[in-house]
Amino acid sequence: MSTVDERTPEADEPEVPTNRPPGMHLASDWLKRPYVRRILILTVVIAAVIIALTFVMVAFMNMSGGPASDIQAQIEQTMFVLTFASAPLMGFTLAILTYSWWGGWGKVTTETEPTEEGPAIRTNGVAVVTWITVCSLLAAFLVIWGLVALAQITAGSYGSTPVNQQPNATKAIDINVTGQQWLWSFEYPDNGRITSDVLVVPINVPLYFNVTSKDVVHSFWVVEAGVKIDANPGAITNTGFTPNKLGSFNVRCAELCGLHHAYMETKMQVVTQEQFNSWVREQGGVKTS
Amino acid sequence: MSTVISPPGGGTTVAIHEQPHVPQPKQVGKPGGFLRRTNFLTAVISGIVLAAIFYFVTVAIVNKVTGGGQQDDLSLPDGLQAEIAMMYIGWVIGFMAGIGAFAGPIRWFLGNDLTHADAEYMSGKDMGREKYWKYTTDHKVVGIQYFIVMMVLFGVGGLLAMLIRTELGITWAEVFNPNFYNSLIGTHGIVMIIAMIIAVTGPLGNFIMPLMVGARDMAFPRLNALSIWLLVAAIPPLISNLFMGGIRDGWTVYQPLADQSPVGMIGYQITIIVFAFSTGIASVNLITTIVAMRAKGMTWSRVPIFIYGILGSAIMGLIWFPMYQYSQILALSDRVLQTSFFTPASGGSVWLYENLFWLLGHPEVYVIVLPATAALLELMPVFLRKPLFSYKLAIAGIFGIVGLSAVVWVHHMYMTGWAPASNYPFMLSTELISIPFSFLVLVMLGTMWRGAPWTKLPMMAVYAVIWNKVIGGITGVYLSDTPVDQYMHGSMFVVAHFHFMLMGAGLFGAMAAIAYWFPKMINRYLDERIASIGFWTAFVGFQITFFAMFVAGLQGMPRRVLQFDSLFNVANWVSTIGAYIIGTGMLIFLYAIITSWRGGELAPGNPWGAHTLEAQTETPVPHENFPVLPVVTSDPYDYGVPDPYELADDDAIREAEGVAKVGA
Amino acid sequence: MIHQREGIALKRGLFALLTVLIGAAIVAGTAVIVSARGAEPPTLKATVVGKAQTAKGELTHATLDMSIFPNASASQPGPNIPQGEAAMVGAAQGWPFYSPSTSLELPANSLVTVTLHQYDTGGQIYNDWLAKVTGTVDGKASYAGVEKTSIDPNNVAHTFTIHQYPESTQPYFFVSVPVPAQADNAPNEANGYPKPIDVTFSFITGAPGTYVWNCEFPCGTGYVEFGGPMSQRGFMSGTVTVV
Repeated sequence: MSTVDERTPEADEPEVPTNRPPGMHLASDWLKRPYVRRILILTVVIAAVIIALTFVMVAFMNMSGGPASDIQAQIEQTMFVLTFASAPLMGFTLAILTYSWWGGWGKVTTETEPTEEGPAIRTNGVAVVTWITVCSLLAAFLVIWGLVALAQITAGSYGSTPVNQQPNATKAIDINVTGQQWLWSFEYPDNGRITSDVLVVPINVPLYFNVTSKDVVHSFWVVEAGVKIDANPGAITNTGFTPNKLGSFNVRCAELCGLHHAYMETKMQVVTQEQFNSWVREQGGVKTS
Repeated sequence: MSTVISPPGGGTTVAIHEQPHVPQPKQVGKPGGFLRRTNFLTAVISGIVLAAIFYFVTVAIVNKVTGGGQQDDLSLPDGLQAEIAMMYIGWVIGFMAGIGAFAGPIRWFLGNDLTHADAEYMSGKDMGREKYWKYTTDHKVVGIQYFIVMMVLFGVGGLLAMLIRTELGITWAEVFNPNFYNSLIGTHGIVMIIAMIIAVTGPLGNFIMPLMVGARDMAFPRLNALSIWLLVAAIPPLISNLFMGGIRDGWTVYQPLADQSPVGMIGYQITIIVFAFSTGIASVNLITTIVAMRAKGMTWSRVPIFIYGILGSAIMGLIWFPMYQYSQILALSDRVLQTSFFTPASGGSVWLYENLFWLLGHPEVYVIVLPATAALLELMPVFLRKPLFSYKLAIAGIFGIVGLSAVVWVHHMYMTGWAPASNYPFMLSTELISIPFSFLVLVMLGTMWRGAPWTKLPMMAVYAVIWNKVIGGITGVYLSDTPVDQYMHGSMFVVAHFHFMLMGAGLFGAMAAIAYWFPKMINRYLDERIASIGFWTAFVGFQITFFAMFVAGLQGMPRRVLQFDSLFNVANWVSTIGAYIIGTGMLIFLYAIITSWRGGELAPGNPWGAHTLEAQTETPVPHENFPVLPVVTSDPYDYGVPDPYELADDDAIREAEGVAKVGA
Repeated sequence: MIHQREGIALKRGLFALLTVLIGAAIVAGTAVIVSARGAEPPTLKATVVGKAQTAKGELTHATLDMSIFPNASASQPGPNIPQGEAAMVGAAQGWPFYSPSTSLELPANSLVTVTLHQYDTGGQIYNDWLAKVTGTVDGKASYAGVEKTSIDPNNVAHTFTIHQYPESTQPYFFVSVPVPAQADNAPNEANGYPKPIDVTFSFITGAPGTYVWNCEFPCGTGYVEFGGPMSQRGFMSGTVTVV
């Protein structure tokens, strides 16, 4: 067993004598080490790939016609922010992983045990402190961003002041959503209590949903609008959003509820106000006052 | 009486104190007594017999109470539930009686306590192959038994997974009845979860851990045998559910849907109740052994990191498994006794069930991931010939996870509407738990830093696992964010995320750990070539399967569905092909295990050059583990040689001070 | 020496391949057996009886005739579940079922007239909206000759509700017709069941597609009586294929 690390390349010029503790090198000297430079380049490349992939991910989310509400747009923006913020750290981790796997610091491919040992690095104060600081800052940033985003979408839907009581807002439409095995029914109490199997809503009008279930737990998911809330038996839960795109979107059940859970799907039709009024009349209801 | 040994050439004298003679109870009959006659076969027979007896007695009682005949009024309590529940309970009691689990307590009660000779018999001394089929207390035997059970469970779970992916791949028709499909996914989930919980802690926690702490056995050897046989007893009720109408619910068996399932659900509930006992007993055993039976000199600063991982996992399991068990006891009571804990129509609460479940449900994933991660941290220094980077930080990471895991469970319930205001603090705690995880990642990266890996399978598997952990980690960041979870919850994105963590990091990590310790347990090397081909095939298949599944989830595909919009077709076809590749790889890996077990190259006691105590024993490990209990003087990571970059600095200082250069 | 090592490697490779093939065979075998056991009842095709004038022009007219029995009996054996399995799912003779089959096939772009003969008792439906007729040609169904848009929600036996498949490329389709209950004390006729209540309704099918249907009245077992026959194909739920 060799008693000197013959694998790591010879150190550079000895540094000027200092009082620094062992293990703590001048940043400029550390960056001159070839493997450090290569790892940093790999970090940048991998982080760039991750950032590019975010666009692909969000494109997948929009394949069925979304985003159909501000909430979904905010969700997509949050995906970008979370990924961009995490990309450098992810890149750095994967860069070290790749470099080591590729054999950047050498590889021992013999059948018998290695004869040389690596440098006896038990710890490195600078590395530990830097890493913990960076991770903590990243976690803090992610959580603050998330809390703020959550507060914003909650204020728009099921916050302390429900949408339909907020001053100067467009009058919201209350919709009672009932999930049961295995279909959704939507009741419009403001429009003469008409009930429908399809969720027809006018564009740019806030919607406030009172969601419940007649039997087991379902989950009311308006896919392209980015809202979801469980439909619980014996309780009423709430969510809400304002649709901002015309078209036909999907309402799915997101909690296993038995035999036909996969088939518990219906449509949300976002139409103009005139079309909505004529639809309400057709169903035998009254226009929203 | 004591013997003093002085090593030749001087050095520390060692005094070996022989066991003073302890008066033993009177030996009645041959050593082992009743246990001479019990084994797996007698257990199965007695389990079936008692199940039948309990069933028919309950049928008789039910008929007397309800007046017999056909139960035509469908709204009355169904005697069938009670009958099947008693049948399963009879099976468990019968099985445990038949394997000899009650022999000890009954003999104690009768004043005929177990003697030293009985204990030796029970530990399988000089017994050969048959000890693996009996109620054996030797931790090495129990470790192998866990290994076999784990592989059987993975086989069953893997078969179910292939069936699931076949259904999802055949997008133009329903291959299976929707009821069967729902049972399939639920059973696949729970079988895999149980298999993963025992994957590292079972074989390695039992076989390797006592050797690693320098003990002769675990703290409670009879409880060790009890925990493995309780697990074996719990498995037939679980598998039988598929033949009893199925559980028709996910592995989380949310109420009140579970109340609509046929009697197969009772099998699930009994399994969990028994499995929770098994896990609790095993956890107590592991914790006590680690705390109280470490070798002399093994202070807390010299304990191998793998032990810390096992300890953390056992602590979490012990505290939180009762929640899961309790939820199933109450659910069983709802079903059989018509109570209404979870049935809103009679005043119950679905949220009560969800909270009880997820209070275990979250720490459980760390119970799975922590031992696998700790095993990797243990083997990395050996294959890189460098010390573990920042050992204390790794311990802080492990216990940070153990502590924080208690306060994050509501992130599985963001969308339930239970307490919307609670989403904020739980999002904070969930984000915070990423910090101790990051400690463990830093330790892994730091250990890799400037190390040349010995490219054997255990080491190369570490790269695969860290890659999977990173992907699982970032997708976990998305899911922990409540607004994003509003889109992602209940979609295939979640399924892909937890497969990356539990299978990508957990299962592949367990495979690396098994590959590392296989020579110690089985005395033969695991065939490197075949096992590597199997592992990497499974790895490639895994990436294909679950990246395609992320795509399906992003597109909006819900989970637990057997038919879906044609928009998700391509993602599912790709995912199914990937799954078949995983199956192929895993079967090859299984073949590697079987062929190496039967006739692989014999391995020495320390095949990898490790410094931990288990590597210092002979292989095959002698019955009493160590001829003399070892004394530990340092931690097992004293690899490595002086760092040239340090030497350079030191040289400058020395030169400035006029001292000779080192290594000149 | 090298030949020997190669020989061993080849042998090991073949055995590894064999392991994979055995595994694949187990998977395939299990899939085939389970799929066959869970097969749906044989398809009931709607009978084409000619053409009819509708709001959408002249379309093919097809009819479908089904009965709803409260339990199986000697005269009406009921859907075929293997005996042991029937006991395990709790299916005694006492489960209601749609006869002769729950796998329905309807012609595309046609007017379909369905007649249901109802023999079962009932009670209060959970969701009053489902006591209304939805999706039929004029929003009405004919109950023993009387045309109505809804029935008494406290006296419903079952519903016949066809609803959407999760497939955006096929037309949206939703039909729901409630079926009224027999009186609890209705006298039984020779076949063991009371005189049937007949319900007739018509709807128009669109382009070909696959749908599912199920009963939405709690006539089953388990929690809120939505288990048992409600959750079993062949009894109170099935498929509708529009070809």
